[in-house]
Amino acid sequence: MDKISINQKILSKNDMDAANLRERFARNGTFAVNIMSSPGSGKTSLLEKTLGRLAEKYRVAVIEGDLQTDNDKERIEKAGVKACQIQTGGACHLEAAEIEKRLPLIDGDSLDLLIIENVGNLVCPSEYDLGQDVNMVLLSVTEGEDKPLKYPTMFFVSDVFVLNKTDLLPYVDFDADKAEENARSIKPGMEHFRISCRTGEGLDEICAWFEKKILSKKKCS
Amino acid sequence: MHEAGIAQSILDIAVNTAKNNSAGRITLVAVRIGKMSAVDEASLRFAFDALKAGTIAENAAFDYTEVPLRGKCLDCGAEKEFEGYFMNCPGCGSSKVSLISGSELEVSHIEVE
Repeated sequence: MDKISINQKILSKNDMDAANLRERFARNGTFAVNIMSSPGSGKTSLLEKTLGRLAEKYRVAVIEGDLQTDNDKERIEKAGVKACQIQTGGACHLEAAEIEKRLPLIDGDSLDLLIIENVGNLVCPSEYDLGQDVNMVLLSVTEGEDKPLKYPTMFFVSDVFVLNKTDLLPYVDFDADKAEENARSIKPGMEHFRISCRTGEGLDEICAWFEKKILSKKKCS
Repeated sequence: MHEAGIAQSILDIAVNTAKNNSAGRITLVAVRIGKMSAVDEASLRFAFDALKAGTIAENAAFDYTEVPLRGKCLDCGAEKEFEGYFMNCPGCGSSKVSLISGSELEVSHIEVE
């Protein structure tokens, strides 16, 4: 019997697909963001309120993931931004191979900004790399400030924490500082924003952040 | 949820390595899996056993080693083993702790005949 040393990193098929996508985005200078949250936190609303502005200066497109319906694709298109929809049937997350398949539908090789809006779920999407530059997690103030502690993997893989629906803060028992502290206890140094898609609070800051990231990605390509 | 894909990759690496070394049969596949890697051991074993059928690893044992989560405090330099995601330095309380080990996902070795 012989022992053969290997010490090789295991990449699952999704990791390999994601690595190919990441290389492709780097070559094209596309800044790619994977947005995740529970259903109803306001992912699509955030995109509706910000991407129209960004699309005036940059080439922007969205890949939408849901179990059923084209509703979100239609909402994004109404905001004047190119979009396509993945209907997962029953699957609770998107995978890299599906993203790759949809890129031709949205001019995927000539984009400055690609947004992937994942299926609403705070668990499964956190385990699937989509080749993104940044994972953004949204939480709304009606959900409870302990969500980062209950769903640590999602917050651990995320780079940016966006707290939405801040216009409702006077009406709910939600401690925004505590929520951000909880998120940072899982992921120190995480960037964070407070926004209200309804009143527009914080949206200028998010747009400026997108713009900064788009420009720095272009410089690297 | 993604253990089947990982098991297939493990099997591919093992079988390719065995063939490149002109081995006929694989008797053991050893992996090192970090505590933070979100892999469920039972699911991975189940998937590996299902996928190895009909390959040269058909009768291979599966040796699973969990790598503990270790971090180093960037403020005071202490190194320690951690239980979960809350990596606050027990010495100085700093939350700036960087991961040293615990996210591994690798095939360490195989045994062949």
